[in-house]
Amino acid sequence: MEAWGVALIKVVFIWAWTLIIATLMTWVERRGSAMIQDRLGPNVCGPFGILQPLADGIKLFTKEDIVPEKAKKILFALGPIMFALPAFSAYAVIPFGDKIVIGGKEIILQVADVNIGFLYIMAIGAMSVYGIVVGGWGSNNKFSILGGLRSTAQLISYEVPFGLALLSVVIIYGTFSLREIVLHQQGTFLGFLPNWGIFKQPLGFILFIVTAYCEANRVPFDLPEAESEIVAGYHTEYGSMRLGLYLFGEYVNMYTLSALMVTLYFGGWHIPYIDMSKFLGPVAYGIASFLVFFLKTCFFLWLFVWVRWTVPRFRYDQVMSLGWKSLIPLALLNLFITAFLVQLTI
Amino acid sequence: MDPYFIVFFIMALGAAIFMITAKDALPSALGLLTVFIALSALYLHLSAPLVAIFQVSIYAGAILVLIVFVIMLLTVPSERFQLFQRNMSYRIMGAVLGALMTALLAIGLKGVKDIIYKREIPEGFGHPHLFGDFLFRDYLLHFEVASVLLLVALIGAIYLSKKKA
Repeated sequence: MEAWGVALIKVVFIWAWTLIIATLMTWVERRGSAMIQDRLGPNVCGPFGILQPLADGIKLFTKEDIVPEKAKKILFALGPIMFALPAFSAYAVIPFGDKIVIGGKEIILQVADVNIGFLYIMAIGAMSVYGIVVGGWGSNNKFSILGGLRSTAQLISYEVPFGLALLSVVIIYGTFSLREIVLHQQGTFLGFLPNWGIFKQPLGFILFIVTAYCEANRVPFDLPEAESEIVAGYHTEYGSMRLGLYLFGEYVNMYTLSALMVTLYFGGWHIPYIDMSKFLGPVAYGIASFLVFFLKTCFFLWLFVWVRWTVPRFRYDQVMSLGWKSLIPLALLNLFITAFLVQLTI
Repeated sequence: MDPYFIVFFIMALGAAIFMITAKDALPSALGLLTVFIALSALYLHLSAPLVAIFQVSIYAGAILVLIVFVIMLLTVPSERFQLFQRNMSYRIMGAVLGALMTALLAIGLKGVKDIIYKREIPEGFGHPHLFGDFLFRDYLLHFEVASVLLLVALIGAIYLSKKKA
């Protein structure tokens, strides 16, 4: 019974935390874009406009919920839910800290430490495309269908290098459990380099970050909603909170992918050269490991915003040729080199 | 019987029936998606989480996405499909193939008495390590034969697409 209670607390905590981060990210995105374009951005609601997401939320909730006459009603309603649900479930297996001791009990800061955590993320990540497809098809609108079509084509092309880049990490650490992968990244190798994934998989990380931007439908890969070509793509017909769910799901996806980058390539909650557990108390260590992990994740969240307002969108054929002609051969090469080196060192 | 099993087997069967009777192409594909997810839940129940996750990531995450891609490329939402096949030769062919398939499944029923009794699960059952050991030690030949088969299909597909162009 107690184990269930702890699990419930962790689930609720992560749920609320993800919601808060996703909400704040909408503000960061708008302020960040303003900073990059030399504007002010939202600055009226609260200090630095930080209450703007709240105002946006009230606006979305109180808007009229319009369903187009020709839309397929059930699919139209199902789309946003099918998009947001996988986004929220993916975070369950990501370790957001080491462990914390409360009342003599050791609690792992992760909702579920399953030995296939890694494959779970991949499976759930691919599910989010159905939300886009169903929404686009249900809207019964040319632009929406084009958006859905682009999204499927993009997913098919980029899921392969995404998976291959991740597989190289698995070959190095020899486990599918994300928690064990982080535990392997403590300490240093070759005498001075931190034992992080980025130093063992430099090419793998580049492949991963490119494909991750594609999975999250972010610029330069936001072709499913390219405003300059197909109005707003799959969510052209959506308004009110249904649109809110789509926008929100995107930020949740960004958060999960950033957390995954930190987990796999940037040592999770470890600080290079310093072992925090040696000089911090058990409770303080738990909180510190959570904060370190969160700060690293924040950097990658900011990177998402930074790239969006700096890099122009690809043309569609460029996306396809990049995926099939560059990323897949590179990912295969990376996998081959990794397997070869691991075989040599065993 | 196990209530968990009943829920997901009804879900799988219901979704399968919906899939073949739906008149709209995309809801039909979503029915197939539900079948995959229900099957994956059944695998989880049989203490095979790895197979369950492969079921979702390969079938639902890759193959079905490809099917959906083709649906979206070739049809529009207003297009409806007739429920019954009018062509007589297709109907006969379908009946024969269906009967054969049912017969194959019926042969499989021979092992049913092994399934209905609860058995001890060996230690580490369903763990990726054990799975890998099986695949690359005990069943290496089968694995390689399957990969050669897939390679043949791949080369065939490339040949066919080249010929047209």
